[in-house]
Amino acid sequence: MSNETQYARGYEIGGIEISKSQVRSVVLHLGLYGFAGLFLVPYVWMASTSIKPEYLIYDSSPHWLTTDVTFEWYRVILFESPVVSWTIATFALAAVGTLVVVLVDSMAAYALARLEWPGRRIVMGIILASFMVPAAVNLIPIYAIVSELGLVNNLLGIIFPYAAGVFGVFMLYQFFKNIPEELEEAARLDGFSTTRIFFRIAVPMQFPAIAALGLFSFIGLWNSFLWPLIILQNEAMYTLPIGLVTLETQEVTDPGLVMSGAIIASAPLLILFLAMQDYLFKAVALQGTVK
Amino acid sequence: MSTGSTADTDRPKGLLERLPFVSDSRSARESLAGIGFASPFLALFGLFLLFPLAYGFYISLFNWDPVFIGQSEFVGLSNYTRMFEDPVFWTSLTNSLLWTLMIVPLVITVPLVLALAVTKDVRGKWFLRTVFFSPSMLTVAVVALIWMQLYEPTYGPISYYLGFIMENPPNWLNSHTYAMPAVVIASLWGGMGVNFVIFIAARQGIPERLYEAARLDGASTWQMFRDITLPQMKHALLFVMITSLIASFQVFEIIFIMTDGGPGQNTQTMVVFLYEAAFGNQNFGYAAAIGYVLFVILFVISVANYYLLEGYTSRVEGEVIEGDTNE
Repeated sequence: MSNETQYARGYEIGGIEISKSQVRSVVLHLGLYGFAGLFLVPYVWMASTSIKPEYLIYDSSPHWLTTDVTFEWYRVILFESPVVSWTIATFALAAVGTLVVVLVDSMAAYALARLEWPGRRIVMGIILASFMVPAAVNLIPIYAIVSELGLVNNLLGIIFPYAAGVFGVFMLYQFFKNIPEELEEAARLDGFSTTRIFFRIAVPMQFPAIAALGLFSFIGLWNSFLWPLIILQNEAMYTLPIGLVTLETQEVTDPGLVMSGAIIASAPLLILFLAMQDYLFKAVALQGTVK
Repeated sequence: MSTGSTADTDRPKGLLERLPFVSDSRSARESLAGIGFASPFLALFGLFLLFPLAYGFYISLFNWDPVFIGQSEFVGLSNYTRMFEDPVFWTSLTNSLLWTLMIVPLVITVPLVLALAVTKDVRGKWFLRTVFFSPSMLTVAVVALIWMQLYEPTYGPISYYLGFIMENPPNWLNSHTYAMPAVVIASLWGGMGVNFVIFIAARQGIPERLYEAARLDGASTWQMFRDITLPQMKHALLFVMITSLIASFQVFEIIFIMTDGGPGQNTQTMVVFLYEAAFGNQNFGYAAAIGYVLFVILFVISVANYYLLEGYTSRVEGEVIEGDTNE
């Protein structure tokens, strides 16, 4: 374009332009860190409520930090509520469910991407089309089927419908497609069976993608709410999200109790997140680039 | 279907190989393996995703009794006609549209702006990224419970601080006007992380030389955003837009926990309506019909969305290419 604007943002032109970009940078930092500060407010409130004694919680002027620290809420929630059994149930749901999803999805994705079998293309078409089926739509019929199968109050009643989702198959399909043909041919010439090729070549090669799917499934199941709410009808079997909400809706709700419970429910995932952050970001980013 | 080779056609054929789609032992084994590998998933997929689609319609034709299915009474399409005469249905549909109109622009623009800012030359990228994404790791139940504390009218901090600048701060979650925006804010805090990370990845995927060339041409920041960033991020934007639309139309948890559809029916959206019909009023046939109508609505929305955006983004790309050739 024009020559006047060409040098307008360069450093060499003099004092004014330099400070302009510095101003920009300051504004950018102020904006970002200001917003980040706002984003942290709910965490601070959760943490402080969980260690404040009752008189500070109910005080009409907020106490963000306190020197009067109590661990009474943690004692009550750990020893006088079913939170420990909820945690075990949540962990069992997330762990078993993740295993099922990862195994079943990677096998199916491999079969669809690498093996020739009658009906493969039709099946792939149906799987792609069912991306359009929103989860909430099937709520009633799946509930009817799960209760017919006697899986109400059973973690499998949550895991099976979850594992029927097509996202994992579709995602891994793209990755298995990328394995070079020659590698598989060579393995076949060496007398490898399909099962062996799958476990010894395909899975190790695309392990990052499979692990990413595992991570999503674990987080998704740990945090799942609607389906466990419908399927688990016995308080002792609740998962953490459901249990916490029943704590909240009891006649006398103690904010300190609910917030300490919220911290107990979130801590495992927040630690997992901090430990695997870079990896998780890569995995999430995959979603948007899979076409 | 078969990838038959001629080398082993002389051999006697086994039973499997005599099937029309199998011509030699290699593809016979492959077919068996393929079906075997796919079948665990296909069984789950069939039973818990495909079959329910048809079964849901069947259920919607009955006054469904989930315990004694045999006693369900066939009512034809009356669950559907009843729905269209039910004012609660129209309220829920309006609320879902309203919720979508509020949350979708926010859950796209806020993470987009933050992602573009964070990918600039800033200090503490790691910290900022962590802060903006981390609420998405929390279960929606925790997000809802925290924000209920923040919005609490007597001891919550939001009302306290608003008390300085206005006489009567709204009782957020019990207010006809403010309940939905209040839940929208909570939902934005807890639900924008994934979009944020997708946008960061998409922005990092744009070759820097495009910006360098534009800068040499004297393009303004706005021009670079409009002509490079947006079209280059087309796929990510499209993906985020469609998933956000579909997700927002199915919102349930955060509303169920924070307001349970209230006050009155002010925040009752379609899925809350569906849930209440089934598990509140034991009207399973009616709830199945609601599910079906929801399906049709979502189908129309996502197809329309896809074509509208495809058209728009290719037009933008066309302009850029034209612009290039003009120079």
